[in-house]
Amino acid sequence: MRNSRVRTRISSTTRHVFMILAVVVLLYPVLWMIVSSLRPDGHIFNNPSLVLNTFDVSNYTHGWNALGRPFGVYLLNSAIIVLGAVTGNLITCAMAAYAFARLRFRFQRPAFAAMLLTIMLPIHVVVVPQYVIFAHLHMVNSFWPLILPKFLATDAFFIFLMVQFLRGLPRELDEAARIDGAGHWRIFGQILLPLMMPALATTAIFTFLWTWNDFFSQLIYLTDPNLYTVPVALRSFIDAQGKSSYGSMFAMSVVSIVPLLLLFAFGQKYLIRGIATTGGK
Amino acid sequence: MRSTVLSRRSFAIAAVSLVAALGLAACGTQNPPSASSTGAGGTTDTGPTLSSGDVTLRVNWWGGDARVEGTNQAIEAFQAKYPNIHVTGEFSDWNGYWDKLATSVAGGNAPDVVQMDELYLASYAQRDTLYDLSKLSQVDTSQLDPSVVGLGKSNGTLNALPISTTGFGIVVNDDALAQLGLTLPDTDTWTWDDLSAFAKKISDASGGSAVGISPMSNGYSLRLWARQHGEELFTDGKVSISPEALAGYFQLAVDWTKSGAAASASHQAEVASVALDQSDIATGKQVLSFIQATQITAYSAAAGGAKFSLVPIPTDDANKAPYGYLKPGMYWAVSAKSEHPAEAALFVNFMINDLDAGRILGTERGIPSNPKVVDAISGSLSATEKVAVDFDAKVAEHIGDAPEITPNGASALDSTIARYLQEVTFEQLTPADASKAFIAEIQGSIDSAS
Amino acid sequence: MSLAELQRATRRTPKVAAKANTRDNKAALQFLGPWIIGFFGLTLGPMLASLVLSFTDYNLLQNAKFVGLDNFAHMLTDTRLHQSIKVTFTYVLVGVPSQLLVALFLALVLDRGIRGLTFYRSAFYLPSLLGSSVAIAVLWRLVFGGQGLFNDILGWFGVSAATSWIADPSTALWTIILLHVWTFGSPMIIFLAGLRQIPREYYEAASCDGATIWRQFRHITLPLLTPIIFFNLVLAIIGSFQAFTQAFVVSNGTGGPTDSTLFYTLYLYQQGFGEFRMGYASALAWLLVIIVGALTAVNFWASKYWVHYDD
Repeated sequence: MRNSRVRTRISSTTRHVFMILAVVVLLYPVLWMIVSSLRPDGHIFNNPSLVLNTFDVSNYTHGWNALGRPFGVYLLNSAIIVLGAVTGNLITCAMAAYAFARLRFRFQRPAFAAMLLTIMLPIHVVVVPQYVIFAHLHMVNSFWPLILPKFLATDAFFIFLMVQFLRGLPRELDEAARIDGAGHWRIFGQILLPLMMPALATTAIFTFLWTWNDFFSQLIYLTDPNLYTVPVALRSFIDAQGKSSYGSMFAMSVVSIVPLLLLFAFGQKYLIRGIATTGGK
Repeated sequence: MRSTVLSRRSFAIAAVSLVAALGLAACGTQNPPSASSTGAGGTTDTGPTLSSGDVTLRVNWWGGDARVEGTNQAIEAFQAKYPNIHVTGEFSDWNGYWDKLATSVAGGNAPDVVQMDELYLASYAQRDTLYDLSKLSQVDTSQLDPSVVGLGKSNGTLNALPISTTGFGIVVNDDALAQLGLTLPDTDTWTWDDLSAFAKKISDASGGSAVGISPMSNGYSLRLWARQHGEELFTDGKVSISPEALAGYFQLAVDWTKSGAAASASHQAEVASVALDQSDIATGKQVLSFIQATQITAYSAAAGGAKFSLVPIPTDDANKAPYGYLKPGMYWAVSAKSEHPAEAALFVNFMINDLDAGRILGTERGIPSNPKVVDAISGSLSATEKVAVDFDAKVAEHIGDAPEITPNGASALDSTIARYLQEVTFEQLTPADASKAFIAEIQGSIDSAS
Repeated sequence: MSLAELQRATRRTPKVAAKANTRDNKAALQFLGPWIIGFFGLTLGPMLASLVLSFTDYNLLQNAKFVGLDNFAHMLTDTRLHQSIKVTFTYVLVGVPSQLLVALFLALVLDRGIRGLTFYRSAFYLPSLLGSSVAIAVLWRLVFGGQGLFNDILGWFGVSAATSWIADPSTALWTIILLHVWTFGSPMIIFLAGLRQIPREYYEAASCDGATIWRQFRHITLPLLTPIIFFNLVLAIIGSFQAFTQAFVVSNGTGGPTDSTLFYTLYLYQQGFGEFRMGYASALAWLLVIIVGALTAVNFWASKYWVHYDD
């Protein structure tokens, strides 16, 4: 009896030790970057320790203005695009999901198959023609090419997510509302949408995450430096033509991942639940 | 019955999509240049005229902080001189610049004035995207040396005006040499073997803390190498360097890497793309380096003010047939679809010929191509800038004809050279095989572009 | 009434059947409207346009020129393309299983029950959150550089290394694969959820019968987990074929050294935006679609041999 208790305690301790070690190893690079951002430039390299013996915020003040505009401009630009993208996805993907999950219409099956296929479509196969379209609409060098597609439900992944979720909601809810005289929009907006909160939250969070980190599209469509977003701005720090200042770059990198960390802190529940449910059948 | 309706409708949808798709493919830059939307500009026999109303110009350039600041100041001076013209400046780093320029031109969204580089000049010019500057009376090319102006021509048309020119040489860290107790051989008569031996001596003397040199790795140096062997890199738009000469260029890199005159292949690869102040020459890990003459100022500053000097590259030709030339650092060009070509030309003229602009911009983009501007700023040049100016003047005494600009399709010249150099220094290819593959690849790119 | 007559009488006529399948046409148009516009205007249209472009020579600056199958013929002799396929396949074939194995292993460890589960789960997920950002790619480049953190830490263990792992052709790709494995948090959470769904009774019954942990894993956990493994596998393969940002930043856009990190999408980008060969780039994009589609189809076909569906 006592032996097995000791054994479980030892094995549980070893498990904890192993896990904590794993976490440290895993997060070491990120922690080192954060610590290095608080060290003066000369003390960054050949200094692998995580011990914070300097708290030098000059990298932050310097990096904030290093690109000719306060870094806040880039944060704001990213925020605007993210806000637009999240709104667009929430509205139009939910609408499309309702159609696929709850309605019956001609071409439904081919349309659903087409929607599924677009999930695995590499963006490169549409990039240039899309650019030409936006250019002819005089929308290049603005946020529109980055936001408009979200209002046209092009992120099929979220449609699929919501369809799966809707399939789990009993049709009796719809029937009951229809008997009460509700039309499709009422059923959608007042009955189903509130019940879809987890799927909506997951969509919002993942859209935020993917848009915030989206480098390629933002690089192509935003030519005016005033419109630069965070990933594009960060890349300017590693421009080989200018002077390098790793401290500033780390500082601004830390700044750029803070929103993601905040997102994670507050949306963790939904994020993890969202990931878990996509894995479900 | 139902199936025919289905197929009719899906056919219609497919047809519409296909037509849309073909339309997209067909529209490149089809829109004819329109008259300026504001003001009363127009065209006369002497080319477009300035409009009287307000005009907004978009100007694009690449460069770092110093250049952005200087250019913005020059823009303000321009706007003060021409109050009805408003200029919006767009800048980016070197890599992103070309991606964005290509897509913005493709989308019919090109800026009015673009900073252009020799690597891409032919590509853009031969695709009818740059205005013929000789048709714009507002830009005065007479103050520049005709051979310099000639370097802005593609197929005989003047598509861009050189902003600056530079020679090519070797920068020497005099302080480091002194510390190692070494003296340079006579650099006016040294041969490549002399350089190889001396570089190795540096590496040995430093006991591993520094190397002598790193291999040449760009189109400029390759052209000079070809000319030293009596050949040209490009002739009539085709690759004309012989595989043997090219193999010699690669062999030099291999020899230096093996002998220790240069750093290891992987170290070379790592520092190939770092910023100036992280480069080996700036951090004292390398004593000699091939550079464009005007870069001496930037390197010296990056090295914390160490004493640098500029010497010519070696040649094996005792008769010293002229092989050098002054390469344009960069150009200003006007977009063919610009709605305000006259105003754009005015801006180009200002940036290249105006003395005030010259004083503001200094030598940040290189030694100005306009000799009058060089004179105007000679008083305010720093020590290193004077070194560069003097070096260029010396080169100018012995230049041959300017070589051809990089042909359409060969814009990847520099990155291709770098890649093959890596392959030979990592010993994945012999210089002989590398030179054959290089020529085939570049020629292939040129062929498929025309 | 004969059976045949009864059948005929109660059979849904095509008209009725058709009506049932189209009764919501108008509503569908409203709800699906944005998607329809997006699908034809921003997806199908551009896809067809790029398909047309793949038979042309298009340099972005002039009109496209029809060249027939030249682009596809060129693919057969394009050694850099072959190199990029090799690099990408190596990344996928090594990186995807490695990442999933680490994810599965840690999910199993966490599933056994441990105090502070939420903390560990979040900590393991964090790299996944940051993994696709430019910031992390830049950090990775510095960590594995000649003077980087990795070499310093190796120094702690007495290994003196001064080589730059990202500048050596034999190790550069591995740093990027490592970055991919580092982001195992996302599939790990999916595995965790899947493990949760396995009823504890199965394990209890098995251990009553004397089954070892390993046997329990092999005969209970693994079979019941196969749908989720399959799901993760499909997504991971599709996603990793499109990997771009990490390779782009770590190699500084070159795919080097000596094309050792020349990912397929990076090569496509270089051809299209670097050398203005949009026709060829479109052809490359379609080749990618075919490759990914074929692999996914094979995945689905093979799934019937090893995936265990409950229903």
